[in-house]
Amino acid sequence: MTEIIVVTSGKGGVGKTTTSASIACGLASRGKKVAVIDFDIGLRNLDLIMGCERRVVYDFVNVINGECTLKQALIKDKRLDTLFVLAASQTRDKDALSTEGVERVLNELRADGFDYVLCDSPAGIEKGAHLAMYFADRAIVVVNPEVSSVRDSDRILGLLASKTKLAEGGNGRVQEHLLLTRYSPRRVAAGEMMGVDDVKEILGLDVVGVVPESTDVLSASNAGTPVILHEDSDVARAYQDAVARLLGETVPLRFIDEPKRGFFARLFGG
Amino acid sequence: MIARTTTHDGIPSSTLHGAMNRPAETTNQGAALEIRFGPVDMAQVRIRSTDPGIIVDELTGRVATAPKFFQRTAVCLDLSELGHEPDVAELRGVVEAVRRAGMLPVGLVNGTAATDTLARELDMPVLAQFRATGKTPPVVHAAPVTEPEADLSPLIHTQAVRSGQRLYARRRDLIVMAPVGAGAELMADGCAHVYGALRGRVMAGARGDTRARVFCQAFHAELVSIAGVFRVFETIPADLAGKPVHAWLDGDALRFARLGE
Repeated sequence: MTEIIVVTSGKGGVGKTTTSASIACGLASRGKKVAVIDFDIGLRNLDLIMGCERRVVYDFVNVINGECTLKQALIKDKRLDTLFVLAASQTRDKDALSTEGVERVLNELRADGFDYVLCDSPAGIEKGAHLAMYFADRAIVVVNPEVSSVRDSDRILGLLASKTKLAEGGNGRVQEHLLLTRYSPRRVAAGEMMGVDDVKEILGLDVVGVVPESTDVLSASNAGTPVILHEDSDVARAYQDAVARLLGETVPLRFIDEPKRGFFARLFGG
Repeated sequence: MIARTTTHDGIPSSTLHGAMNRPAETTNQGAALEIRFGPVDMAQVRIRSTDPGIIVDELTGRVATAPKFFQRTAVCLDLSELGHEPDVAELRGVVEAVRRAGMLPVGLVNGTAATDTLARELDMPVLAQFRATGKTPPVVHAAPVTEPEADLSPLIHTQAVRSGQRLYARRRDLIVMAPVGAGAELMADGCAHVYGALRGRVMAGARGDTRARVFCQAFHAELVSIAGVFRVFETIPADLAGKPVHAWLDGDALRFARLGE
């Protein structure tokens, strides 16, 4: 049974594509057959983050328009052989997407036996974002612990509960998960940043993961390697935890407390 | 028929009547019929042009705004602002136009001596002195059909109300059993209850019921309104913030207090 997961947020720049890439890799490294699709037509960057930007021959819009087969457009990842990327078009825009076209592509992926299809949503609440979430079974709502991101995520949660195929059908709902990114325990302790509990209180949902703020994310995108594959990074560990929780495992939250500093570090302010 | 103006609480009345409660002394008390006098409210159509096209256009629009009120309603034609003495043919065109628009002209008013002749030609009565009452037909609102004060059971909502969502409880109370996000809007013709945190806007008594109240379990509202009287909360007073609070209208003032106090 293929599960369609949308990675969305409302707000831009919070870490949707970073998350889509990492979660996709995380699931694939556990042996699942995963496809990750970039819905940000015209501003594609999933292929950059995945490191396959120079291997894009056909894209999502080509498949929708019947200009190529799905197999021709799917790019197999070099590191994980059950992971496939469907890039967005750079030359067109979101009007090139259609509900029927998206449904057809998703059905074909289902028929191909994919375990998970991750839909990397663009920012906003318009056509691209709407179509990315419309057929979803589950949603990962990426939130920064910051007021505008929280407000926009609230809006997105409202749309997930009303403007998706499951919601419109009346007999199901999209399973919602919050993923907190760019979290800084030090700033939370200093009272400068919203904490996990604050976000949970406002949005009324438990988090499926907390990803700490880290310079590793930039290094990863520069290298074209999803950050979850950078084994030494706390970000990678946080994403591994999130994947585990998505698969139903119970994992305690890490990276939400200020790291304890040794005596000398505190003394000399290291 | 004698038309006269009388006063009704000091306001000149538009009614055409004799004395309402006078017994039918001028009647013909035969078995087949009876003549009685009684007040009748009537609209007047004061025409400033005799162009039938213009009259049909404007009147049709007016009828459409409140069809139940205007459709086939009796009207009298006021010629006082015409600026010229119309001839019979013109007036026939006007009468035709008014009928086409959906109203029924039954007389002429406020004309000159010449009006009498016109009336005779048109076979219509002259309803002489005619002063408009304070009453004007409800143009903006729907026809004055009394809406039943149906007390339906409250609209109960158990899901979180997210930013950008709007709930409206028409002619009843609204009960939300989940948090209401910032940027969400709750509207109720009756009371609004939030058994959870209220962060958005709430408008109770949306149709003007001043008895409506707002109740919530944790007060963080951006705006509270009851029957149109509203208050925006840039900062929430410390004694109310996050506490169970209710709001009500005290005359023209919106009051807030902790629940249970």
